[in-house]
Amino acid sequence: MDVIKCEDVTKTYRRRKALDQVSFSIGENKLVGLVGRNGAGKTTLMKVLAGMLRESSGRVEVFSRRPFNDLTVSANSIFIDDEMNFPPTMTLVELLQEGRRFYQNWDHELAMKLFEYFNLPSKARHQDLSKGMQSTFNMIIGLCARCPLTIFDEPTTGMDSVVRQDFYRALLKDYLAHPRTILVSTHYLNEMEEILEEVVLLDKGQLVLQMPIDELNEFTIRLSGKKDVLERWIQGKEVLLTKETGHDDQSVILKNSFSAEERQEMKRSGVHVSSVSASDACIYATSPKGGVDHVFDRSEDK
Amino acid sequence: MILETDGIKPIYVQISEWIENEILNGNLQKDEKVYSQYKLADMYNINPATAAKGLTRLANEGILYDKRGLGKFVASEAKAIITEKRKNQTVKQLLHDLVLEAKQLGMSEDEIHERLKEVWRVENGRD
Repeated sequence: MDVIKCEDVTKTYRRRKALDQVSFSIGENKLVGLVGRNGAGKTTLMKVLAGMLRESSGRVEVFSRRPFNDLTVSANSIFIDDEMNFPPTMTLVELLQEGRRFYQNWDHELAMKLFEYFNLPSKARHQDLSKGMQSTFNMIIGLCARCPLTIFDEPTTGMDSVVRQDFYRALLKDYLAHPRTILVSTHYLNEMEEILEEVVLLDKGQLVLQMPIDELNEFTIRLSGKKDVLERWIQGKEVLLTKETGHDDQSVILKNSFSAEERQEMKRSGVHVSSVSASDACIYATSPKGGVDHVFDRSEDK
Repeated sequence: MILETDGIKPIYVQISEWIENEILNGNLQKDEKVYSQYKLADMYNINPATAAKGLTRLANEGILYDKRGLGKFVASEAKAIITEKRKNQTVKQLLHDLVLEAKQLGMSEDEIHERLKEVWRVENGRD
């Protein structure tokens, strides 16, 4: 069963399209990463799914319902980001106690244990915390609410790398014990790809790809070697990035459409074949042609 | 089949190879239950679907078999299948890479034979 289903979803702010005909679906109990560059539409998509924003056109279904202003969707989902508003007069522990009243599946024991583990000051108020500690606190709420649809928008903002690693581990452990649908947007795909099942990549409001993480790891390939030798292999293929790596030497990134035999044959002809990580694949699939090097390239013969 | 030398191996392949090693070195005996996808996910900090993919790969190759509702178990022919597979894939691939590298360096076939014998002696002397 699909928990999330989008068909041609478009969201327009004035004239700008933040989401442009996005269609995809996410099955029940999957842990999915949402990636894309700044301004790709990740937050807008998540807010539409959480029912906080109304789509301009297209069809959105969450738990088979239209999420905007829907009570069922609201009761069964949680949206965590770094702009969460909490009552300024309540202490952190009081906020956790409210969580218990608010969310049906709330695990208060886990909440208190995580709270202690991360050394959060119990009498402090949310607005007094550093950015990283705010994120840590929000993450505890997102995990312990155990909502059937849990959405984290950039949950690791401000966290140091130790806390980030702890968060990924906590997220996986809790997901294993209590499977549910989790959508996480991140700029650190390389750090959390191993715990994800699928990746959804957005760029300029459009869906670029959605695939299992291990397919994404083999989605693109890097070939390097002599230009004339490479030419034979890349002819007619869509090259994502070309880099000059010396006199007559080139390194290219392209979609991996080669068979094992072809790759063996490449090696025989002196081409160095290497894999491209999932996070690099996402970068190459969404960066402007030529990359930032192109901006600095002043030669006339382009 | 995945070419080992293309770069880092996919995680599900690493998982299945780890289980193969456990079978080869006797830590997992025939008809013994193999770790579940959830146990593997917890042990290696990976998504359970990735772990499941590694297990399915072994089941498709006849190394593991399914007992409905109970999980996956080591097949009686598991060791033989793994050994045969590794000879045909891993060793073959390593040899290809070896010969390619040797050719690039202009080594002769005899020279490679000699070197191989030498390494063979050293490695066997070690055991």
